[in-house]
Amino acid sequence: MSYIEFKNINKFYGDNQVLKDISLNVEKGQFVTLLGPSGCGKSTLLRCLSGLEDISSGQIIMDGKDITDLEPKDRNIGMVFQHYSLFPNMTVEENIAFGLKMKKKPKDEIARKVKQAMEMVELTGKEKQYPDNLSGGQQQRVALARSIVQEPKVLLLDEPLSAIDAKLRKSLQNSIKQVHKELGLTSIFVTHDQDEAMVMSDTIHLFHEGKIEQSSDPITMYTSPVSKFAAAFIGNYNILTEQEFEQMTGRRISSPEGIAIRPETLQISDGKTPEAEYVFEGVITDNTPKGNVLQYHVDVNGIRVKVDVLFRSKVLFEDGTRIRISVADHNCIRL
Amino acid sequence: MRKKKGIGNGIILVIIGIYLLFPLLLTFLYSLFTEWITILPEGFSLRAYVELFQDSYFWQSIGRSIVISIVPIAICTVAVLLAMYVVVVYLPGLDKIMRTICTIPYAIQGVILPISVLGLYANAPEPFSNRVFMLVCTYCIVVLPYIYQGVRNNLNAVHAPRLLEAAQMLGAGRFYAFWKIILPNIASGVMVSAMLALSIVFGDFVIINTLAGNYFPTGQMYLYAAMRQSGQQASAVIVVLFVVTLLISLGVFGLQKDKKKER
Amino acid sequence: MKKKQTKKYLFALLPFLLLVGLFEIVPVISIVIRSFMPQGGGIGVTLENYTRIFTTKLYQSAIVNSLFIAVCSSVIGLAVAFFGAKAAYEKGGRAKKIFMSILNMVSNFSGVPLAFAYIIMLGNTGVFTLIGQKLGIGFLAEFPLYSVVGLMITYIYFQLPLSALLLIPAFESIKKEWKDAVGLLGGTNRIFWFKVGLPVLMPSILGTFSTMFANAISAYATAYALVMNNLSILPIRISEQFVGDVVQNPQLGGALAVVLMLLMVLSIVINEKILQGNRRKHHA
Repeated sequence: MSYIEFKNINKFYGDNQVLKDISLNVEKGQFVTLLGPSGCGKSTLLRCLSGLEDISSGQIIMDGKDITDLEPKDRNIGMVFQHYSLFPNMTVEENIAFGLKMKKKPKDEIARKVKQAMEMVELTGKEKQYPDNLSGGQQQRVALARSIVQEPKVLLLDEPLSAIDAKLRKSLQNSIKQVHKELGLTSIFVTHDQDEAMVMSDTIHLFHEGKIEQSSDPITMYTSPVSKFAAAFIGNYNILTEQEFEQMTGRRISSPEGIAIRPETLQISDGKTPEAEYVFEGVITDNTPKGNVLQYHVDVNGIRVKVDVLFRSKVLFEDGTRIRISVADHNCIRL
Repeated sequence: MRKKKGIGNGIILVIIGIYLLFPLLLTFLYSLFTEWITILPEGFSLRAYVELFQDSYFWQSIGRSIVISIVPIAICTVAVLLAMYVVVVYLPGLDKIMRTICTIPYAIQGVILPISVLGLYANAPEPFSNRVFMLVCTYCIVVLPYIYQGVRNNLNAVHAPRLLEAAQMLGAGRFYAFWKIILPNIASGVMVSAMLALSIVFGDFVIINTLAGNYFPTGQMYLYAAMRQSGQQASAVIVVLFVVTLLISLGVFGLQKDKKKER
Repeated sequence: MKKKQTKKYLFALLPFLLLVGLFEIVPVISIVIRSFMPQGGGIGVTLENYTRIFTTKLYQSAIVNSLFIAVCSSVIGLAVAFFGAKAAYEKGGRAKKIFMSILNMVSNFSGVPLAFAYIIMLGNTGVFTLIGQKLGIGFLAEFPLYSVVGLMITYIYFQLPLSALLLIPAFESIKKEWKDAVGLLGGTNRIFWFKVGLPVLMPSILGTFSTMFANAISAYATAYALVMNNLSILPIRISEQFVGDVVQNPQLGGALAVVLMLLMVLSIVINEKILQGNRRKHHA
């Protein structure tokens, strides 16, 4: 039996069904990500687990207990929100101690645990400050400390990085991972950013219109998308119809839903390395540098494809250059 | 060219400023002189103020004004907070109706509300026919829009629903979350709107005159009576009432400043 | 358990509902119902109160006078306040702060005190009246303070700070960059105000006007202190049907109150309609 089990969850807002018969298991100690575009139901599922939303039908089991009808305060779940939601009239310390006070823990225990938590999120020295005087990243650290200090059964993270500056985001992302590792805390993370999901998770559940599109570990999710939607959302794939594929390569693959090819699996022939199954020629129309990768836009018989190469000077081509491209059959994913 | 325009604007502001301040200053001067039958006043005297300060009836009137301003505002604030507790925590859908109810008093301002209340309850059984009871409840409705707006704006400013959710996730019940977490965060803001409402009730004449002028003479009623006796006396009353109102406004200003510092 | 929870919290709505029900909703409904009841308090439904209002000169003039005073004092007050707010906005800094302090201060100066101040300024023995007599300025010497025009001029005094306080924040919403942009594109100051400034301010101006109109048409204290019952305006005609020396007639008073309410609601509705129309035009 899994640690957390969602069983056939349905959720309606009026006539609008936002969760469609979702069943999902989470194992103890795992870091699980619910990924998807906005409005796909991922946050709603998280809020149903927290108890902040009711479900229309279904059952939620946690640690062997049915918690479907429990009040949020009785579920022992920690939650970190997108907008921090710190109490503005309380200091950092008071914010973190709040949950323990609610549980009527002894004073010295509260003080000890608050201190520990503050160290863990690297906020020591800010005890007496008010939230409004802290940066977004620091506020979110307080919110994180406030949740973990109560030793919840599961930590829910609802887009915790979305409101934070790009520069601080990485470091907070590391802190969250660190906390998960040190405490072995079962964590469920909601995001719309596939890169974040890749970095953080043990398992990713990709949501699409109230349903789970694909559940797998990050690498499988990246290399083997099961549908057009997954391929488009995750990997920046070239997605081609059967006809387009034939027009490009001159050969036919049977895959009615289309064929997905990752840009970095398309190889530009240099005449030395052996060529793969499908070989064709195209003209470079444009290029976009993306950090350590350079992306070429190539026109092949009227089909535009993206080709990624590592950013090395010896493979730089001018726009208008005619190049030879090859791709292996196993990299042409049948959707 | 820029400078020229600055001067033009300055002149406009000065003219409007003089226009607005002149009646005030004149009233003040009027209270300091016994005679004003030529262009310049004669007979400087503080007699009006001395007499006024010795008149216990005047102090009672001021006292009544203050009591009748504070009590309805306190009642109204508590009623609105209780209702908003239900609306914010349990039934957010009711907010629209609540807002409509709380804006209606704008459309029945002035004489309509007091005559409606009077017409309905003048011959009703106690306590409804009690004029002071009528007065208190009517003032509650008069200040309702201001109190509601104050509470609503401050709830929005602290993102009340978010705080409520956070508190619940940390093991607090909804009741505790609203009254112990949200309320302290909006208290000073609500206080500001309560003080604004205070100055409105303090300056009211139409409702007190319609409902309870003879039963519960306030500072405004005292002024109205004084006006028909002595100009100097009346202007002294106006000056004192105005100073009290200014003190209330300064209180609001102070509170707002405090609040900004806190942030 | 959530499912078993009783709805005890609904009790917290009770004080509010009682207060609003007994002293806002029911009184207003009762006054509307009363306006359709025959004079003298008999049972029945009749329009006689309304026909009387629209056929009696006294009440017709009350409506006309009230409308005249409300519209004129709002228009004049708004025009002056507009230039005052514009000047404050352009001047900024300390001047604006002082100006706003004055507005805030004098916005408390209305009703009976205001009437008194105008009596000692422009009444029969008012300071300006005396000056006018001495210097032979007929307009001041015979200032018609106790007339409809006099009342209207007195009202402007409290309309001005009210509208200026509403307009100054609206001016703040005009970004300096917009002005720079118009300037860079070769537009003059005048073009900026007509093409950008005014359209942006329009909703605030209309909203302010409707607030001022409602404020003026329902004002009672100033008029009562100035002219008692001797001038026919709606609030005074209404109130004398319920209190005072004249023979009381609450049914007629109710009908007058309904007319007054309708005028106020009408100004709000017209304002909304204009704004909606504007918005639709912008979208199209």
